[in-house]
Amino acid sequence: MRPTRTTFTAVSALSVLSLALVACGGDAESSDRDSDGPITLTVATFNEFGYEELLKEYDALHDNITVRHTKADTADNARNALRSSLGANAGAADIEAVEVDWLTEFMQYPDKFVDLADPAVEGRWLDWKTEAATTEDGQLIGYGTDIGPEAVCYRADLVGAAGLPADREGFAEFIGDTWDSYFAAGKEFVANSDAAWFDSASALWQGMINQVEVPFEEPDGTVIATTNPQIKDLYEQVLQASTADGLSAGLGQWSQDWSESFQRDSFATMLCPGWMLGVIEGNAAGVDGWDVANVFPGGGGNWGGSYLTVPAQGDHIEEAKALAAWLTAPEQQLKAFAAKGTFPSQVDALDSPELLDSTHAFFNDAPTGQILVDRATAVTMQPYKGPNYFLINTALVDALTRVDVDGTDDAASSWAKFVRDVEALG
Amino acid sequence: MKARGRPLPPQRPATPPTLRQRLTAANRRCTPYLYISPFFLLFLITGLFPLLFTGWVAVHRWDLIMGQGEFVGLDNFRRVLGSPDFWKSTRNTFSIFLLSSVPQVILAITIAALLNFNLRGRTFWRMGVLLPYVVAPVAVVLIFSNLFADRFGVINSLLDLVGIAPVRWHSEVLPSHLAIATMVNFRWTGYNTLIFLAAMQAIPRDLYEAAAVDGANRVRQFFSVTVPMLRPTIIFVVITSTIGGLQIFDEPRLYDQYGRGGADGQWRTLTIHLYELGWTQSDFGRASAVAVLLFLLIVAIGLVNFTITRRIATAGGHR
Amino acid sequence: MKTYVPLTREDRQARRNAGIDRPSWIVYGCLAAVLLGSAFPIWWSFLIASHDSTILARNSFPMIPGGNFWSNAREVMDSVPFWRAVGNSILVSTSVSLSVVFFSTLAGYAFAKLRFRGSGPLLVFVIATMAIPTQLGVVPLFQVMAQLGWTGQLHAVIVPGLVKAFGVFWMTQYIRSALPDELIEAAQVDGCSQFRTFWSIAVPAALPAMWMLGLFTFVATWTDFFWPFIVLGAGNPTLPVALQQLQAAHFVNYSLVLTGACLATIPLLALFFVAGRQLVSGIMQGAVKQ
Repeated sequence: MRPTRTTFTAVSALSVLSLALVACGGDAESSDRDSDGPITLTVATFNEFGYEELLKEYDALHDNITVRHTKADTADNARNALRSSLGANAGAADIEAVEVDWLTEFMQYPDKFVDLADPAVEGRWLDWKTEAATTEDGQLIGYGTDIGPEAVCYRADLVGAAGLPADREGFAEFIGDTWDSYFAAGKEFVANSDAAWFDSASALWQGMINQVEVPFEEPDGTVIATTNPQIKDLYEQVLQASTADGLSAGLGQWSQDWSESFQRDSFATMLCPGWMLGVIEGNAAGVDGWDVANVFPGGGGNWGGSYLTVPAQGDHIEEAKALAAWLTAPEQQLKAFAAKGTFPSQVDALDSPELLDSTHAFFNDAPTGQILVDRATAVTMQPYKGPNYFLINTALVDALTRVDVDGTDDAASSWAKFVRDVEALG
Repeated sequence: MKARGRPLPPQRPATPPTLRQRLTAANRRCTPYLYISPFFLLFLITGLFPLLFTGWVAVHRWDLIMGQGEFVGLDNFRRVLGSPDFWKSTRNTFSIFLLSSVPQVILAITIAALLNFNLRGRTFWRMGVLLPYVVAPVAVVLIFSNLFADRFGVINSLLDLVGIAPVRWHSEVLPSHLAIATMVNFRWTGYNTLIFLAAMQAIPRDLYEAAAVDGANRVRQFFSVTVPMLRPTIIFVVITSTIGGLQIFDEPRLYDQYGRGGADGQWRTLTIHLYELGWTQSDFGRASAVAVLLFLLIVAIGLVNFTITRRIATAGGHR
Repeated sequence: MKTYVPLTREDRQARRNAGIDRPSWIVYGCLAAVLLGSAFPIWWSFLIASHDSTILARNSFPMIPGGNFWSNAREVMDSVPFWRAVGNSILVSTSVSLSVVFFSTLAGYAFAKLRFRGSGPLLVFVIATMAIPTQLGVVPLFQVMAQLGWTGQLHAVIVPGLVKAFGVFWMTQYIRSALPDELIEAAQVDGCSQFRTFWSIAVPAALPAMWMLGLFTFVATWTDFFWPFIVLGAGNPTLPVALQQLQAAHFVNYSLVLTGACLATIPLLALFFVAGRQLVSGIMQGAVKQ
């Protein structure tokens, strides 16, 4: 018996155990460090980008590259996850999708991202789409994927049953192209129907806020969210319509009740950017009567749309950049549009016959391609979204929800809470 | 609780120790420390250090991405305590905690009393009550938030059948707390039932026999013998559920699709507040301040519990 | 699996009670209701999971399972990295359980049976840490993981779980009562080394408690959400983290969400049917020891 040796055996056993435990977790991530051999590229998106088939295609085209796709449930969680991995300088995917609402926030840290500017892709996107992702020094943070030109989706059956014009053109004329006329039409509708006019005040808000040129922050960083009279007016207008006039179904957007309500005759219209078509089709599976009208209150409007960025912390920056460029090329974006309705931000895609001639069977064979191209041309300006846009808009949506869905506050007291929330962000 | 190890018998005396014997002795002295060191080392690194460092972060401006900023003293605490969000979260945390611990203890004792009968298929019943324990809280909350949906949830449909107006589970404060507490109770009642059952079986039979002689019926026996004898166990259960209960996160986080605890913070708890400040607003300084305050709260409650336990233990004097 | 021998006290009492406490059907009725309450939510999740997303619109109380479970399951596996999550959960829970059991037994043996300076205060320290919410150190712990470049990787979840104060306390209590000092003395007289004494005398004696500690640690780690959610992210999730990814997609399909809940519960249900008896007696034994 040699006690000391056994003791050392014990100690080394312990250390080996701990090391083994530590090491085994890392294998999956670190095994693809080798740059010559086959590599794995990770692509992180959220909601629906329509990339499933495209990534398989890319896999097949490149023998040495395996693409792994991770989809966050919501944009909120995707944003938090990206923030975390930027803070940690580790854990980000090779390609990270970023939504326009929080793009500016991440543009505060340009050195965390690879400069994607490249003569090969110059002029690929609509000017405003590229400008929004370019820093003052000319660094291009992300490649544009889709944009969200908005039309109005509606239940032709419910509208018809209320004795109102239900065909595409007649309905477009009926609701007109201002918010006032849209709400006036809504009052007429609810007088003749059990359904509400629209789903949720916060959904309408997204349409309204994207028409305000300088909503919450001045370009110099001054927060004007609580003092901007335009914001307060829109806030009161949408709540007046929602609660006092009873036009809203009072459903929290994206909630379970909201999803379920598509299966019933809960409301008649919805603002719908291109990507919303897929959402409606999924939630309303089996329901007949949806259609799309080529009109939008307040002129044109863009809701959402994203970019692909390449975080500087990745191991395969060049390959990631190449994949991002491929994914955002017009041909690929058109396929994504066909899959999930994500409307292209690429100039060449906009006049492609593939897009212009596309129709949507679920929406009564509406010429959705042509409609959305028309809606995109109607977009005349892009709001300035500062670094706090996402947080402030979240607080405002909460304010609307308190009145429209929860009924815990009236418009005035909920606004006071919003003011307080914005001050707390400071 | 006795904390000292029992002494080993004296080692063989006489003859002057050889080198090997001296090595053995040294080894014998070191071994215990070697055995406990993995625990202490790992605990210090992954448990204690982060906890203490939280205090350091709390007195600085500290951004998730940009890292440490200037020293700001108690500014973060001032801002946290000055915000109604913190107080609302504290209220919610306590309310959910009370709604989940009080009914749970009562229910668990009742079920334990039922299980304490001489049942046929004892193991079956015991395993049955423990079943929910193996469902992850995340799965529990997904299931229950479906049941508790405001418009089209089953629970409201059932209420509608018996003529009760639908409850706004996701809009109003108390109903949302009830729903969340239900999830906690679902998962933990069975677990605590078994703890109470074990304690009941440890109660000496002669106490019941004496009570029976005094003319106490079953129900009286339960209240005059069982419940008082269970007091230490009740306190134990309450203490253990305090530590976890005040940090509740999973259930309120997944109760709706946003995870912020409601548009009006109806069910926002302190841990959600901490997460929101730290990871949504990138303000690690204020998040740490919340962590420190919650820590103090839990320790304070722990101390109160401890004193009460001590008093009961010395006053009761049994065991 | 080794079956656990129930408490003798319990047995004796049961035998003594045999003639006295013959419960009426009311007792069984109440217990059946409790069981129904325990099982219903799990059954409900399976019901919804076996239909398509429109089921609740057609029927508020579907009581018969539909035939969509497997197609839903396939869709869940397509929309989140399900198998990766299962693998991660198994890896994390197993390594954490093994490590907790090993280190706790080692320390518990030292506290229970070895004499050393400072053992008293150190054990008090261990017990005190059981009451400390170490979870609240998340902010710095996250920063440590970030510094190490571990975020998004499994060791960020495994390493902080390697030891548990409760485990040390539990093993100390058990070994103190289950392992007679004479056995240790005998081993030492035979010239066994310290570690050999531990390995061949203490470990076999402590085995039942080690099993239970392992079981409970496994369940706790498998169901843990807060820390894995913060540090892992969508790319490399454990099962609960993957599960929450299902919940709030743009188009919330509750059949899919509850299919996910079902799928995540199945492994633990299986464990429950194999080792539920041990869980029951583990809890009851722990309670008596307090």
